[in-house]
Amino acid sequence: MTPIEERLHQELSDAVVEFDEDKAIAASQEVIAQGLDAYEAIDHGLAHGMERAGKLFEDEVYFVPEILLSADAMYAGMNVLQPHIPLGSERKKGRVVIGVVEGDTHDIGKNLVRIMLSATGFEIHDLGRDVAPRRFVDTALKVHADIIAISTLMTTTMDGMAEVIRILNRENVRGHFKVLVGGAPISHAYARKIGADGYASNAIAATKLADQLVAIHAVPAEVA
Amino acid sequence: MTAIIIDMNKRDPLTSLERVSLALQYKQPDRVPVAPLVCGASHRVLGITYDRWSQDADLAVQSLLDTQELIGFDAWLTLVDLSVEAYDFGQEVIFPRASTAYPNTDNPRIKTVEDYYRLEKVDPLKTKRMRHVIDIVAGLSRAKGQEIAINGFVYGPLGVLSQIRGHERLFKDIIRQPDAVLHAVELITGVLEIYAREQVRAGAHAVVLDPLYSSRSVLSKETWEKFEGPFSKRIADAVRDEGGLVVVHNCGGGVYFDAVIKWISPIAISHAYPAFDCTTWEEHADRWGREVVTIGYSDPANISFLLRPEEVIEDCRKQLETFKNVDHGFILSTGCEFPPNGNLLNARAMVEAAKIYGSN
Repeated sequence: MTPIEERLHQELSDAVVEFDEDKAIAASQEVIAQGLDAYEAIDHGLAHGMERAGKLFEDEVYFVPEILLSADAMYAGMNVLQPHIPLGSERKKGRVVIGVVEGDTHDIGKNLVRIMLSATGFEIHDLGRDVAPRRFVDTALKVHADIIAISTLMTTTMDGMAEVIRILNRENVRGHFKVLVGGAPISHAYARKIGADGYASNAIAATKLADQLVAIHAVPAEVA
Repeated sequence: MTAIIIDMNKRDPLTSLERVSLALQYKQPDRVPVAPLVCGASHRVLGITYDRWSQDADLAVQSLLDTQELIGFDAWLTLVDLSVEAYDFGQEVIFPRASTAYPNTDNPRIKTVEDYYRLEKVDPLKTKRMRHVIDIVAGLSRAKGQEIAINGFVYGPLGVLSQIRGHERLFKDIIRQPDAVLHAVELITGVLEIYAREQVRAGAHAVVLDPLYSSRSVLSKETWEKFEGPFSKRIADAVRDEGGLVVVHNCGGGVYFDAVIKWISPIAISHAYPAFDCTTWEEHADRWGREVVTIGYSDPANISFLLRPEEVIEDCRKQLETFKNVDHGFILSTGCEFPPNGNLLNARAMVEAAKIYGSN
C-alpha cells in the first residue's frame, strides 16, 4: 500500500468514526482523483471505520445515535466510490435479503443490522418495513440469497417469521437459505420453535452469526 | 390518591389493592400480587376489534373489567399504546383492526428541524386519545377503584417525541440538533405533567412513567440524563404532588437503575431484563431488590407463544424463588405488555402460580 493510499484509508475510517460526512466525501473524491482502487478504499477505509464504530458500540462507548451517524458517513463515502467499482469485481461474503415482517413498521433494529452487515462485506437487499412473507421468499430466490434476515418488534407480527419458513418448506427451497431472526420479543427458543437457523439479540451479534451461517452454508455448496 | 387504609385484623382475604399496596411498602401481603399487564389483549375478551378498544373508553373499561374477572389479577395498567400522546400532538396514527395502533412514520409530524419549534401545547382533557386514557382510568375507578389497583400510563417525553419525529431521525437529531430536541422535550413535558395529574385525579392510584430510552440498549446514561432525566422528574413530581404513586416501566435491555432512581424516585420499577450493572436476575434481586420494588419479569413472548400453563407456573415459581429475599417487594408480572394476541390461560396461570408458590 502506498503512503497516499494509507493516508486516505485512514481518513475514510476516521470520517466514519467521527460521523463526518463531508470528510468521507472529500477523501472518497480524492481516492478517485488519484486513480486508486475504490473497492479497497471502501474495504480498508469506510468499512474499517464502521468496524471500529461497531467495536465502540460493543464496548458501550457508542450507542444507537452514534452508530446511525457513523453509517451516514459510511454511505456518503460509498455513494462516491461505488460507481467506480467495475461490475462483478466486488468480493462479497454473501447475499442477504433483509426486512421487517408484514404489519410492523419498526425498522431501527433492522437498519442497524443492515448497516453492520454491509460494512462487513455482505451484499444487502433491503425490503424495508411491512414486508409480506411471500416477498421475502420471492426476492431471496430471485437474487440467489444466502441469508434471509427477518425482524419484528411486535408480538402480533411474530408469526410472519414462521410463515416465511413455512413457505420455504412448502416450496422445497428451505435448504437454499439460512434464516436469521431478531427483534425485541424474539428469543433463541422462538427461533428454534419456528425452525430458523439463528437468532441474534443485536446488530453486532447478527453480523457474527451471519458470518457463521455463510461459512456453514458454503461447505455443502462447494462439496456439491 | 387518598391514603389506602388496611385493616390487617379483618378475616377476609386482602383486596388486590391492599395486596399491591403492601408489596409496594415492603410489607408482607397474604400472597405475592400479580399484574400480567393485560392491556390490549382485553379487547378479545369483550369480542371487539382492537381499533375500537383503542378509541372507545366505555368499551375499553368494560373489557378491562371483564378481563380482570376472568384472570383475577391484582392491578390494571391503562396502557393503550405508545402513540396516544403523539396523536394528540398531531401525528398521523394508523389503527389496525387486529393490532396495536402505531404512527405513520412516512408522515412524521416533525419533518424538519424547524418543526421542533412549531410543536404546540395541547390540553389533555380536550384531546381525543389522552382524554380516552383519562376516561378509562375514571371508569375503572368508579367500578372497582376500592378493590383493584389502577395504574395510569404516561410515555416519557423523549418517547413521545420519537413517535412524532421517527426514532432514527430523533436519535440523529439528539447529536446534531440537541437544542431543537430539548425545546420540544420541554414543551411535551409540560403537557405530560398535566396528563399525569389528570390520571391521578381520575382515580389512578399510581402512574406508570415509561422512559424507554433510559437503557443501555439505546442511549448512553449521560445522554438520557440530559434529554429526559430532569423532564421525567417533573412528571413524577406532578404525580406525587397530586397524591399518586410513581412507578417506572422500561422493557429495554439494561435499564440504568441508578439514573432512573436519581431522577424519578419511583416506588417500583417494571422491567424485562436485569439492571445495567447486573448479568443475572439473582444478582439483580440482591443488588436492587430491596432498594426499589420489582415488577417482573416473565418473558412476554414465551408466555404468549411457547409455554403451556403448567410451564408458566413453573417459570413463575422460579421467579418467586429468585425474589424471595427482597422483603416482600416483588410483584409478579410480565416484563412488558402481555401480548395482545397471547394465550390468556397463561395470564391466569401466573395468578395461579402466585397462589401456589407466593402465599405466606
